[in-house]
Amino acid sequence: MSPARSLVLHFRTSSTRSLALGIVMLACLAHAKGQDSGDVTRSSRVTSGLQVLYDFASPSGAVIHDRSGVGKPINLSISDSKAVKRSEGKLTVSGKTTIRSTRPAKKLIDAVRRSGALTIEAWVQPANTKQAGPARIVTLSKNSNERNFTLGQDADKYEVRLRTTRTSTNGIPAVASKGRTAGTKLTHIVYAFAKDGQARLFVNSKSVATSKVGGLPSNWNGSFELALANELSGDRPWQGTLYLVAVYSRTLTPKEIARNFAAGPDGTSAVESLAKVDPGQTLFETKIAPLFANHCLECHDSASKQGLLDLSKKSLAIAGGENGKAFVAGKSDDSLLWQMVESDDMPRKRDPLSTEEKALLKKWIDTGATWSLDTIDPAVYAHGGQARETLVQRLTVQEYINTVRDAVGVDISKEARELLPRDIRADGFSNTAYNLNVDLKHVNAFSQLAEIIVSRMDVLKFVRRFSRNNKLTDKSMGDVIEKVGRWLLRGPLDEQEVISYRGISTTVASAGGDFRESTSFIIEAMLQSPRFVYRIENQPGYDGEWPVSQHELASRISYIVWGSPPDETLNKVVDADNLYGEELSKQIKRMLDDPRAVERSLQFASDWLNLGRLQNLSPNPKMFPNWDAELAEDMRTETLAYFRHVALEKDRPLSELLNYQATFATPRLARHYKLPATTSKIDKAGTSQYDLSKIKGRGGLLTHASVLTVGGDEASMVSRGLFVLHDLMRGIVRDPPPCVDTTPIPTKPGLTQRAIAEARVANQSCRGCHLRFEPLAYGLEKFDGIGAFHEKDEHGNELREDGQILIPGTSKSVPYQTSEELMTLLAGSERIRETITWKMTQFALGRPLGAADAATVADIHQAGQKSGGTYKDVITAIILSNLVQNGRTVKSQTE
Amino acid sequence: MTNRRITRRTTLKGLGAVAIGLPFLEEMAIAAPDTKAAAPPVRAFNVFFGLGIPAPLQTEGFDGVFEPLKPLAKKLLIMQNVDQVRCDESGINAHFDGASGAFTAEPPSGEAKAGGPSIDQVIRKAHYPKGLPSGMVPTLVGGTFFRRSRVSRYVHSYNQDGTVAGIMQERPRDLFERVFGTVSTGNDTDARRQRLKRSALDTVVDQYKFYTGVNSPLGKASKARVADHLDRIREYEQRAYAMKHAAKDAPKAPPASKLAHGGKADPGGEGIDMMVEDLTTEWRLMADLYALAVQTDRTRFGSLTYLAAGERLRVKGEYKYDGRTIYNFDDAAEHKASGSAGCSHEWWHKFNPSKKNQQLRAHAHMTLNEVAYFLKALDGENSVEGNGRTILENSLITVSTESGDGRHNDVKRELSGIFHATTGANGRLKTGQIMDVGAEGIDVYNTVLDSMGVPSRLGPQKRDSAAVDRIRT
Repeated sequence: MSPARSLVLHFRTSSTRSLALGIVMLACLAHAKGQDSGDVTRSSRVTSGLQVLYDFASPSGAVIHDRSGVGKPINLSISDSKAVKRSEGKLTVSGKTTIRSTRPAKKLIDAVRRSGALTIEAWVQPANTKQAGPARIVTLSKNSNERNFTLGQDADKYEVRLRTTRTSTNGIPAVASKGRTAGTKLTHIVYAFAKDGQARLFVNSKSVATSKVGGLPSNWNGSFELALANELSGDRPWQGTLYLVAVYSRTLTPKEIARNFAAGPDGTSAVESLAKVDPGQTLFETKIAPLFANHCLECHDSASKQGLLDLSKKSLAIAGGENGKAFVAGKSDDSLLWQMVESDDMPRKRDPLSTEEKALLKKWIDTGATWSLDTIDPAVYAHGGQARETLVQRLTVQEYINTVRDAVGVDISKEARELLPRDIRADGFSNTAYNLNVDLKHVNAFSQLAEIIVSRMDVLKFVRRFSRNNKLTDKSMGDVIEKVGRWLLRGPLDEQEVISYRGISTTVASAGGDFRESTSFIIEAMLQSPRFVYRIENQPGYDGEWPVSQHELASRISYIVWGSPPDETLNKVVDADNLYGEELSKQIKRMLDDPRAVERSLQFASDWLNLGRLQNLSPNPKMFPNWDAELAEDMRTETLAYFRHVALEKDRPLSELLNYQATFATPRLARHYKLPATTSKIDKAGTSQYDLSKIKGRGGLLTHASVLTVGGDEASMVSRGLFVLHDLMRGIVRDPPPCVDTTPIPTKPGLTQRAIAEARVANQSCRGCHLRFEPLAYGLEKFDGIGAFHEKDEHGNELREDGQILIPGTSKSVPYQTSEELMTLLAGSERIRETITWKMTQFALGRPLGAADAATVADIHQAGQKSGGTYKDVITAIILSNLVQNGRTVKSQTE
Repeated sequence: MTNRRITRRTTLKGLGAVAIGLPFLEEMAIAAPDTKAAAPPVRAFNVFFGLGIPAPLQTEGFDGVFEPLKPLAKKLLIMQNVDQVRCDESGINAHFDGASGAFTAEPPSGEAKAGGPSIDQVIRKAHYPKGLPSGMVPTLVGGTFFRRSRVSRYVHSYNQDGTVAGIMQERPRDLFERVFGTVSTGNDTDARRQRLKRSALDTVVDQYKFYTGVNSPLGKASKARVADHLDRIREYEQRAYAMKHAAKDAPKAPPASKLAHGGKADPGGEGIDMMVEDLTTEWRLMADLYALAVQTDRTRFGSLTYLAAGERLRVKGEYKYDGRTIYNFDDAAEHKASGSAGCSHEWWHKFNPSKKNQQLRAHAHMTLNEVAYFLKALDGENSVEGNGRTILENSLITVSTESGDGRHNDVKRELSGIFHATTGANGRLKTGQIMDVGAEGIDVYNTVLDSMGVPSRLGPQKRDSAAVDRIRT
């Protein structure tokens, strides 16, 4: 609905007294249009962060429905229907009643505690200017002295009380408007509280009060209910008409407040318009940008720019190429882009677009060719729409081992590695949820392992940690099952679960078994249950994002940081309902300082760099007659020790992994590298630290043999370059066309790998792709297939280390003269820093990232870099992001 | 309700998917006892039913709740006024005490132990000191029951030390596999472990079912993932616990039970809904299979339970006897209550001798009808042995329950007048009477033991026994 229509409707349904306000609104609308036409012309209410919305759409009934569409609705019940009058779009309260939720407003409380920010909004028309107390318009509280917040009217002022860590449990000191702010006209009131403690009160979109309230709402009471037009204790009634009440878990900006003001009090029209987004924008971002990324940018990005057309940048795409504009908005027939695609002349040497894709492209041009992104990054679209699919995660083998160790104190690593099938890498990581399938062998292994684990436990001692009960009666066993289950299954059990596990103890008892045997079998069952084997989270039956519960958040954090379940300290914080704000940050820091965080970081590094590959390393003995099979493990050890040192022990920015001037080598690897003797002692891992600042060529992750071996025996520049492009720069190149002979060309006297690569890059057919990655490996030419450093190859050819790199998304290559310069360039590359953030986020979430994640990952990256760019900084930013704090929910099948 | 009895000499078709073929029957025939032998083997079984028969109703002869026992009247000794007050344990109501005292005459010893051995086990030890013949199930314990907070509510065979004498088989398929699926070596350790592991796996399966079911909190893709896992578990279950038959052309096992078992059968003592037909169907299959085990001489000792002590069911449906409707049950509706307060159990709490007690009578009538169903299974022409008597007549089958009054405000009254009945045990005990024995249960049991040629006695050694000779022939 347009804003004008919204206003017309409003005037039709409102009393003449609101005429003046309508004029104010129109003026405001005109003003807002001038400021932010994109927002206001849509006239839709702000939905981001919305937690509850009451638009009083129903003309009758004793229930007021929460129409936010977010989470489980907090509906309100009217205790005395005679005290109110309902009609479509408004509720008039003329007597004393309570209008309250029948249970704590948990979703709202959870969300605000987690975000630390809040906005309360109401469209009201007070009945008089005498009511005071303040008279409650909307309140989340218990009684007249205890509250999380209250928006009220105190005679001719509006007042807001908010509980924070700096204010009292009564929300004092309050923020109040000046006198004569509250009248009997229809009024838009907004209170916005920010994480920095700043609060502002707006009336009809104008700021009427500002105050530094301070603190955070992390101390909100989780048991309070939400109510309208009275205090929960029934002694602070408010009279007047309510048109709309909304609460957000974030701070609305003045522009957004103006937008909601402009949208008017018509809750129905506003709700209908919630989902309205510019269809052209949607089409471009969800269909056309991926289409360009997958079909066009190979030749028409900033690097290739064939025909001088760059479709990766908005301004350049609109400007067109050497043949003029690529497309004319609204006229596909006049658009060169469409003509070339329709005739299948484009894409060249690739499959033509499908009929559906062509139809989309035509539709996009004909409907205005909206281009809403500044840059199209092909990496963002690499995983299509499935990247955000909500899929339950099975524990990886390593996580299973960790979980058993931390949950029951049993080291099951040997047996678990023997019995459980290995987790296969997918999309670069072995913890990718969609690939964590279960086969019969898993089920068999889980059963056998459960039996072995329990046989190694002192079951009675373990149970006594949780409960002193030791009888087989209902009450006793119920208590044991609840408490042991809470620990082992990483969250409280519901009644049916307790009953189900209780069945085991009754069966054992009826077979003559005792308490120990009963609990043993119960633990055995729990160790095989879905809640142990999987990281189960609630995915309520609606579509959208939703803050995960405290238990779920704790589990997410502990598996991200440790790869194992929450410990008792974290559980206590959760049980106290306190995993928010400062306490959350404190817990993250504590956990990152725990040795388990180092273990987990090394799992990330191992997966990211695919170090598992080294187990199968078997160089050609003719080429490398001195190869020692144990070197492979030494190479792996080096990289992990290096990562541990730089990322964790020295807490350096992760970009320094590219050029840190030290390494950790076993004596065997040091000989392989021809490193001079070191005075550093040999550590537990069998390595010594070597200063590389004066060692020619060696220094930084890319000079580790573990990484260099990706090039195979021939030290392929293609393989090494692709590794750098894909895993360090998030660059995309497609497979070579089918006709291309990809047989590696061997070196010979007078022909080095560098010369072979340069020939490919010079070839017009190959250049488009090979230019993007082979030069990335030029600086590594002096390292042979197993990472040894040489000035000449086996044919006596002189080797070089100069070259140039092209960062994805840029158009100009940057030259370097030495390997050291290359490493310095890479370490300074924002694209590489971003990629490390992407990789860490992917590992943390256990799924590939897609277009829908891009904005949040960008925020994570900024936050992580702002804090210092270390491993801990980035992990902290990931945990605090919406990708971890919120769950992606799905519609139930029955809906 | 399908109600075709399973017998040794008829092709069994069944109740649901039961289809036991002729090769199996031949095998059973081979294993069956020599019907020409003059002396039948010593057998002793305890049959327990839950909730009891209030003593005043036991005085009405076969016109009242005893009506279903009338066809067996000549083969039973029904005893009134049997006192089990000595089984009382302070602070616990008589459901548990009385059930524990049934067949043991001792108060319970903890939650999972009886205070002493049950009579069937004392007889077994006395007559088979070196064990039963190879291939037999030493003690077969089965039952159809739901309430399970304490073991002696539903298990009724106990060793000398009060521990259970056999693993409870609560699903017809479990009992079938226990009897016909494996050959017992006498060392049940591995089988027991497997059985318990399977029980744990049942709970695991329940959990996976929940996460794939309609109430799962998971989305479609996650559900599908967990469903895959569940399929693998079922495959594993099939492979790991498949019944190992001794014979070729093994018969199909009975269908999987459709009723709640394990923890789900007793949700915190709140009771479950139960249709008459569902209950009766499962029980009769269980009773038929148990009888078949006896007829084929796979077992000679054990116990069978029809409803646990203090059973909590909200029964619904028509109960017919001999072609006439006895009652249309709808416990919850009649009580106007849900949960435990809506269960048939409450009729026992509300028992009032001066009133009609219509619902209680109907429930008790149905219970005795089902007990009679099992007894009759051992009394047909298929059960005639070499001495011309039926297995029912040749065996000692003791029938009892937990209480003589459902009201919990008087322990003495509750544990007095507890229904008991025995068969003749091949002429050792009188039958064809309803006898007011006016004796303690321990004396009745010891008299029975003496009649069975068992030298040992139940109860404290120093206690002066008072033999109840009038029950002997």
